[in-house]
Amino acid sequence: MNTELLNEISENLQRGKAKVVKELVQKAVDEGIEPDAILKEGLLSGMNVIGEKFKTNEVYVPEVLVAARAMNMGVGVLKPLLAEAGVKAEGKVCIGTVQGDLHDIGKNLVKLMFEGKGLEVVDLGTDVSPDTFVQTAIEQNCQIIACSALLTTTMGVMEEVVKKAEEAGIRDKVKIMIGGAPVDEAYCKKIGADVYTPDAASAADAAVELCRSLKAAG
Amino acid sequence: MTNRERVQAVLSFEKPDDRLPMIEWASWWDKTIRAWQEQGLSRELPWHEIAPTLGLDQHIQYWLPHRGPGCPGPKFNGGPIMEDEESYEAILPFLYPEHGPDGQLEDMRRRKAEHDAGAYPIWFSLDGGFWFPRTLFGIEGHLYSFYDYPELYHRILDDLADYQLRQMERIYEILTPDFMTFGEDMSYNNGPMLSEACFDEFLLPYYKKVVPFIREHGTKVIVDTDGDVTKMIPWLRRAGIEGVLPLERQAGVDLPALREAYPDFLFIGAFDKMTMRRDAEAMRGEFERLLPVMKTGGFIPSVDHQTPPDVPLERYRVYVAMLEEYASRAVRE
Repeated sequence: MNTELLNEISENLQRGKAKVVKELVQKAVDEGIEPDAILKEGLLSGMNVIGEKFKTNEVYVPEVLVAARAMNMGVGVLKPLLAEAGVKAEGKVCIGTVQGDLHDIGKNLVKLMFEGKGLEVVDLGTDVSPDTFVQTAIEQNCQIIACSALLTTTMGVMEEVVKKAEEAGIRDKVKIMIGGAPVDEAYCKKIGADVYTPDAASAADAAVELCRSLKAAG
Repeated sequence: MTNRERVQAVLSFEKPDDRLPMIEWASWWDKTIRAWQEQGLSRELPWHEIAPTLGLDQHIQYWLPHRGPGCPGPKFNGGPIMEDEESYEAILPFLYPEHGPDGQLEDMRRRKAEHDAGAYPIWFSLDGGFWFPRTLFGIEGHLYSFYDYPELYHRILDDLADYQLRQMERIYEILTPDFMTFGEDMSYNNGPMLSEACFDEFLLPYYKKVVPFIREHGTKVIVDTDGDVTKMIPWLRRAGIEGVLPLERQAGVDLPALREAYPDFLFIGAFDKMTMRRDAEAMRGEFERLLPVMKTGGFIPSVDHQTPPDVPLERYRVYVAMLEEYASRAVRE
């Protein structure tokens, strides 16, 4: 396998060179490298580096965005091939900013980081009601509901999401993650959610772990 | 002392005779005021009389308009109104309205005598070099624009700086505001939203063009950026910025540590709004945390970003009483 080419994909992704990444991914496909290997060792490994650097403030939001855009360009080339080969995502998450809150930078960053870890993401947007979170998780077989809030006035909706999920009887199958400026670990425990993380990259790590543990539990 | 003298003293690291200023720098959520009206606050009160009615000092803020009438608005919250050079050209006739601030300038003329007499401090706000392009590119497009349209970004900030310098000349012909803020919001709960390299390339030249003019006139220059500003303070200092607000505790800002690191930097805000949702004891604990910094000067304590609507009016009155107590202790002890 041409590891040099995969490294080149990873490095260009980290620099946000979307067009170059797309061309290199096509080249890798043409050379006969397995789509799964291009995805994991080229694209996702590059996005992992960005995620780690983001956690330690070595790169910032604009760099994450351009890297994620480059990744998506590469994934676009691979998508039909991955489907053909039966490669499945690590897990499925529905994400949104809670009802009454229109802030979505944080939510979008988490979404990009989720995708960078190979998770399939259903983006519900902003101002999402508890019912919508829960119904989507049921209808789309999501393992995780991820709720974001920026405002002290809207964080209470997260508790409603937990309650609705309990009422719907899906708490053993669906984990609930929360994040955003006004919430913390103590609040997560208080409302009965499963995981709080302080930043987008940690959220993605935690989501992958949750999906794996759910898978292992059957 | 007058309201204005207190603010001027603190911003010059001098002790006011009686107490620190007692202001709510960001005013209140309309939701908070509506809730308080349900709890007995008069519905007849004009907005500018809410502060004195609640026992706070009056201050007057002007936010200069940067877009004129007819300027297209975003199709959704945080959306773009332009994308590239061509679309910037298209909306340019609506930006930087030369007569946009006329009404505010007229109001300044009317207030000049009261301002001179010390009835209230006056401050003005400008859209900063991070904030303003965001209102054009939209929240997401703006973050890409550093990489996708660097030349255009520089051009926008040149145009912005020129406009602001022209308008500030008009302000200083009337009066000298006591402090000003650049509205930026370029940090969040995990620190800056952009890298130092990005800051240096794009924002530093803008600040270096605008800030010296303001400082020459004796107005204190402060950046308004929510979230955790800690890492960004050295960058701002290099740009000639003299202080920051609102220093959100929830984002992890540690004011006593910042004061130790920057003894000559100005701070406004820092009072953890989340303690107001709990009880009097939590609020007292918060004032105790801030008191040592209140004593150092250069710090105006104020809610670190608007009182949450679920804080009852009675508890807010307790907060104001405590603010007065600690504002006095800070100059006496």
